[in-house]
Amino acid sequence: MHIELRQVSKRFGRSRALADVDLTISSGAQVALLGPNGSGKTTLTRAIMGLIRYDGEIRIDGRPLTERMSVASRLAYVPQIAPQLGATVDEVLGAVSDLRGLARSTVVELAAELGLDVDQVRRRSLRGLSGGMRQKLLIALALATPAELLILDEPTASLDAAARARFLERVANQRGVTLLLCSHRLDELRALVDHVVALDDGQVAYDGPATTYLAARQAAVIELHHRGEDGGWLAAHGFARGAGGWWSRVVSQADKLELLPAALAALGAAIDDVVVRDSDRLELEVAGVGQA
Amino acid sequence: MSFARQVLAAARLDLAEVLRSRWLVFCGGAYLLLAVIFVLVGLRESTVLGFTGMGRVLLSVCHALLLLLPLLALTMFGPVIGRARDDGTLELLFSQPLRRSAWFVGVSLTRYLVLVTPLVVLMVGLALYGEMVLGQQVPWPFVVRALVIAAALLVAFSGIGILISTLVRNPGRVTMYIVLAWALGVALLDFGLIGVLLRWRLDAQAVFTLAALNPVQDARMALLSGLEPDLATLGPVGFYLAHRLGPDALYALGVVWPAVVGAGTWTCAYVAFRRGDLV
Repeated sequence: MHIELRQVSKRFGRSRALADVDLTISSGAQVALLGPNGSGKTTLTRAIMGLIRYDGEIRIDGRPLTERMSVASRLAYVPQIAPQLGATVDEVLGAVSDLRGLARSTVVELAAELGLDVDQVRRRSLRGLSGGMRQKLLIALALATPAELLILDEPTASLDAAARARFLERVANQRGVTLLLCSHRLDELRALVDHVVALDDGQVAYDGPATTYLAARQAAVIELHHRGEDGGWLAAHGFARGAGGWWSRVVSQADKLELLPAALAALGAAIDDVVVRDSDRLELEVAGVGQA
Repeated sequence: MSFARQVLAAARLDLAEVLRSRWLVFCGGAYLLLAVIFVLVGLRESTVLGFTGMGRVLLSVCHALLLLLPLLALTMFGPVIGRARDDGTLELLFSQPLRRSAWFVGVSLTRYLVLVTPLVVLMVGLALYGEMVLGQQVPWPFVVRALVIAAALLVAFSGIGILISTLVRNPGRVTMYIVLAWALGVALLDFGLIGVLLRWRLDAQAVFTLAALNPVQDARMALLSGLEPDLATLGPVGFYLAHRLGPDALYALGVVWPAVVGAGTWTCAYVAFRRGDLV
C-alpha cells in the first residue's frame, strides 16, 4: 500500500498535533515512526487509518483517502493500549473475525504461538485479562488479517521476552506488507524497519534510512556504585540516584567516552563498581535529548 | 460484509458490555422496585379514575415511570460514545471494516432494547400477577397503551442522550447535561409551566405550546387521555389540551411527538458522529 501525505495538519483545540506533514511511504516499506511523547506519531497513524479528520490530503495508492472503509479493510492495527472491553475474549474474537472474515482457528493458532491459550480464557472479559494477554490477542487478530498495511503502535510494550521474540519473527516474515511501527525498542527497530520517520512537535524531523538514524542515536547507560555520602559531582553531571548507592545516566555513545574517564578522575576511590551497557531503547529519543 | 451483519457484530459486543455493566439488572430492578412499592403500599385497595386493584397499581406505576424513564434513557445513552472513545473501543472497532452507521445503529438498538425489554416484562408480568394470582380484572387496553407511550418516551430521551454523548466530550459536562435535560423535562410539566406563566406573564398559548413540546408532558397526557379529563389529575395545561384536542389526538401526540423528537435528535447525533473524530 503506497501512502502519501501532503500538507497534513491536525489541531486538537489550541494544541497542534501535526503541522504540514509531507511524507511518502512506499508500498512494502518498513517504516518506524519515532519521536518523543506528544510528537504526533499516534495522530499520524490515526489520520492514515481515517479515524480522525485532518487538513491536507492523504492519498492511498494514488487515490485520495475520502472513505475510511476503503483503507480499513486493507489494514491491520495493534493499538498501544488494548481496549478495556467488558465483552469476553470469545465475543471480541467473534466480532472481529466476523468483520474481517477470519477463521477463528487461525487467530487461536497465532495466539498460541505467542503463548496465549484462547480456549482457556475464552469466557473471561477482555478487561479481566492482563495487559500482556490482551496484547497477545490483539496481535494475533492483526497478524491473522491478510493486510496490505500493518500499523503497530508500541505493540510489545506488555509482552514477555518469548512472546516478543515470536512476534518479531512473525512480523519480519510478512512479505510485501507495508509496515508502520511506533516503537522505541532497538531490537524491534533493528529487526523490522529499514526506514525511519522521526516526528518532533508535529513535524517531520528526519525521514531517511534506519541505519543512519539509529547509529547516531543509540544510547548507553552508565551505572556507578558510589561509596561516599556526597554525590554532588554525580548529581551535577546528570546522574540520577538509585537504590543501594547506585547512580545512573543515559548518554550518547560519544558522550560515554568523555564522561566515564571524567567520573573516575573526579571520584577516584569512592567508586567501587562501574557498569556500562547499551540501552535497549532509544532513550535519548524518549527523553527528547540529542535530537539531530 | 453486509450492513446488517456489521450491525449485529456491533450490537453483540455492546450487549456484552451493557450486560456486564449490569445495566439490564439496574433497569429491571428500578422498574420492579416501583411496582413493588405501589403494590405494597396497598394502592390496589383504592379506586382512582375508575381504576381499581391492579389497574390502579399499573396506572400509578406508569405515572411514576414517566419521571424515571427519561433519566434511565439519558443515563444509558449519555456516556456511551465518550466511554467507548476513552476505553479504546472505538479505536479498535473502527480500525476494522466496520461502518460508523452500523456501530451507531447497533449500539442504539441494543441499548434501547435493554431499556424497553424489562419494562414490557414488568408491566405484562404485573398484569398477569393481578389477573391470575389475585383474581383481579386487568385493563389490558390500558397496559398496551401505557407500553406504547413508554416506548415512545424512551425513544425521545434515548435520542437526546446520544446527542449529548456525541456533542459533549467531557464526562463531567455529560453528567451536567443529562441532569439538565431530565430536569427540564420534569420541570416543564403543568405546575412548573403555570409558575412560568404567572412569574413572567407569558401568553397562555406560549405555555401550552411549551407543554406540547415537552415529551414527558405529552406522554403524561397521553397516558391519561383515555380517562375522563379531570383538572386535578391532568393539571391546568393538560386539562386545557385534553379538552381542546380530544383523547385520540392527545394519545397520538403523546406517541408521535416523543418519537419525532427521538428520531430528530438521533439523526442530528448521527450526523455529528459521522463528521467528527472517532478517537
